[in-house]
Amino acid sequence: MNWRAIFEALPVTGWPPPEPVFWFALLLVGGALAGELIQRMSRLPRVVGYTVVGVLAAASGYGARVPLTGSSRLVVDLALALLLFEIGSRVHLNWLRFNPALLASSLAESLCGAAAIFFALRELGIGTTDAMACAVLALPASAALAGRVAHELQADGQVTERLTLLTALNTLYGALALVVLQAALHAGGGLSSVDALSALARSFFGSLLLAAVLAAVVAAAARRLDLRNESAVLLVLGLVLLALGTARMFGLSTLLVPLLAGVTLRCSTERPWIWPRHFGTAGGILVLMLFVVVGSAWSPALLASGGLAALLLVGARLLGKGFGVWAFASWSGASQRQGLALAIGLTPLSATALVMLADLHMGAPALAARVTPIVLAAIAVLELAGPIAVRAALVFAGELPLRQKKSAR
Amino acid sequence: MSLEPFAASRPLSLGVELELQIVNTHDYDLAPVAADLMRLLRKTRLPGEVKPEITSSMIEMATGICASHAQVLAELRAIRDALVHAARRLDVGLCGGGTHPFQDWSRRRIYDTPRFHQVAELYGYLSKQFTIFGQHVHIGCPNADEALVLLHGMSRFIPHLIALAASSPFVQNTDTGFNSARLNSVFAFPLSGRAPFALTWQEFQVYFAKMTRTGVVASMKDFYWDIRPKPEFGTIEVRVLDTPLTVEKAAALAGYIQCLARWLREESPFVLTEDDYLPYTFNRFQACRFGLDGTYVDPGTGEHRTLRDEIVRTFELLAPHAAMLEAEPAIALLREELAHLGNDAGWIRAQHAREHLLPEVVRQQTLRWSGEFGRRPTPSDAPADHGRGPAKM
Repeated sequence: MNWRAIFEALPVTGWPPPEPVFWFALLLVGGALAGELIQRMSRLPRVVGYTVVGVLAAASGYGARVPLTGSSRLVVDLALALLLFEIGSRVHLNWLRFNPALLASSLAESLCGAAAIFFALRELGIGTTDAMACAVLALPASAALAGRVAHELQADGQVTERLTLLTALNTLYGALALVVLQAALHAGGGLSSVDALSALARSFFGSLLLAAVLAAVVAAAARRLDLRNESAVLLVLGLVLLALGTARMFGLSTLLVPLLAGVTLRCSTERPWIWPRHFGTAGGILVLMLFVVVGSAWSPALLASGGLAALLLVGARLLGKGFGVWAFASWSGASQRQGLALAIGLTPLSATALVMLADLHMGAPALAARVTPIVLAAIAVLELAGPIAVRAALVFAGELPLRQKKSAR
Repeated sequence: MSLEPFAASRPLSLGVELELQIVNTHDYDLAPVAADLMRLLRKTRLPGEVKPEITSSMIEMATGICASHAQVLAELRAIRDALVHAARRLDVGLCGGGTHPFQDWSRRRIYDTPRFHQVAELYGYLSKQFTIFGQHVHIGCPNADEALVLLHGMSRFIPHLIALAASSPFVQNTDTGFNSARLNSVFAFPLSGRAPFALTWQEFQVYFAKMTRTGVVASMKDFYWDIRPKPEFGTIEVRVLDTPLTVEKAAALAGYIQCLARWLREESPFVLTEDDYLPYTFNRFQACRFGLDGTYVDPGTGEHRTLRDEIVRTFELLAPHAAMLEAEPAIALLREELAHLGNDAGWIRAQHAREHLLPEVVRQQTLRWSGEFGRRPTPSDAPADHGRGPAKM
């Protein structure tokens, strides 16, 4: 066989290859390798490796552009939709009924966290609107990241469960707060409570309606198919993505729809819903890409301009959220140690904030441009510290399986 | 360590211990929250007590010393209600059943106490496979010799008790074909099986001394016999029962054992010999494997009957004793069950045949356990506070 002829026939058009598939594949390979490497060397979750690849890409000038647009926004939306749907489907609202202190704890950590950020940034001389926007964007702790780390490390126990619940709820609050903020900005400061409420109601009930349709279709599929089967679960994956596309079409929150769909599904019946975590391999690829993209969403210049305010934001947020959780720990039936672990577990700030920032860009570009350095720098600080903090929290709470002693080969 | 003296206790007094499964409410796999439950119950006054077990997704509840079936039932219900209330605050479920139908034993965690870690170190994976759930019934005896006589008399009815209580057909996602697969795990332990045929405490002490001299055992705790004497309580302890799906069934089994004990004690219906044990392992296997349809070989006459017929026969024999002990409701419950699904293993299989989803079967088990099968729970289902502190037998 004439190999030379074959090579000459290949339409290679020079370096660097313009094919997006090439870059996508390169990131996938890099992310997967880094994930395995980190996991072997350090016992840290693979997410850290994925993020490192993103960070390296950004450092060499190939980072994702912010606000997220095009394919990077698509990857983040898709992956986040899957993770939020899954997390939503683990939110047992009945738990709040039997343990109201948990709801109090959830409201407290969100309010205290947002208030702490607001006042800290005001102290630094940042304008009221900007400080408020930062407080809203940093309100959700990353449900996706906490859930991903807990799953990968096979964590099990009260802190793991409560972390899922609290992150799902503060993602919900964050998305709703953003709607109100946008409505306020749109009204040019003269926002009446009626306007705010109607904007909130439109967004919430629109999302809920779409979410309910998705939940009903998934439930109908689950009754006929065994979703533990990897092929059948592709149907659910497709449905979630379809709902996401519809949400984007109608301008509904891409965070609220999948999250509420998961919650609706969970609450529609007590019969357990069981499917492979992260929708099997297909979902796994999206999750990997999500963390690569988020890891790459910074640049040295942004870091320099937003650094100080971001550090203040991170510190204030940690204290505010920590206090809120810790204050209600014993009333909600958690030990002091578990309260502390929960507070640490709420550290991550990740893809959710990035998506909210992109949404803010559409409604209020000037404001979004002003807060972008602060929020991105905060994400940059926490994207690597976040998964490590979640792991530390789970270790501290004793919820990771003990590692087997390595047997001699 | 030598054998402790046998403490006398009131004849035919009763005590019940139940090992429970703690499951999450998402996929109904075992959940490691025993320590959290213990913490929530620390300030609750209970008629008996609640204790951790070897893996952190099990918890044990025990009654105090009871006189009657009715008292056992009342105490079990009170403790059950307190436990269920605490479990709801943690969003976990509690259920009976001798095995969890699909748990992965390698993921279980050893509860953090020195003794449990020591046991885990010795038995290795067996200790995690020992994530099985049983009911233990103590019967009070006035002295050690009577205890041993009662123990060997009761041995004839071990197959009956296994078949009635069996509730562990599934292990590791598979229908084992057994009614009580749990006991197969117990038989893996080196010191399981039956007690040596000693009818006086003196003989038993000689046996125990020989065993400790070999270094194989250090205390009575190291024997995993089907029935063993419990010197510090002054009781014999029947250990072959799978944890039933309801406290009512658990109390009924205790009542049935109390009736058997009274019948054996009052009437001495047969002469005890070592030869009683010739068909013992055969009978026990039949009961584990086939439940009520198993074959029972009468050690006295060598006759073969089904365990179902055998058990109905004992109901007749025990009737006067049930009347004296006010245990008729216990016998009535077992008789009723025998006429329908037979035992809890039958119920679990029937649910699985309908649902085709083991997590859903476990969910229904949690409803059976909390007593609200077919009823929705509300936050006002708080337990009543009971005035008595924990009691030991």
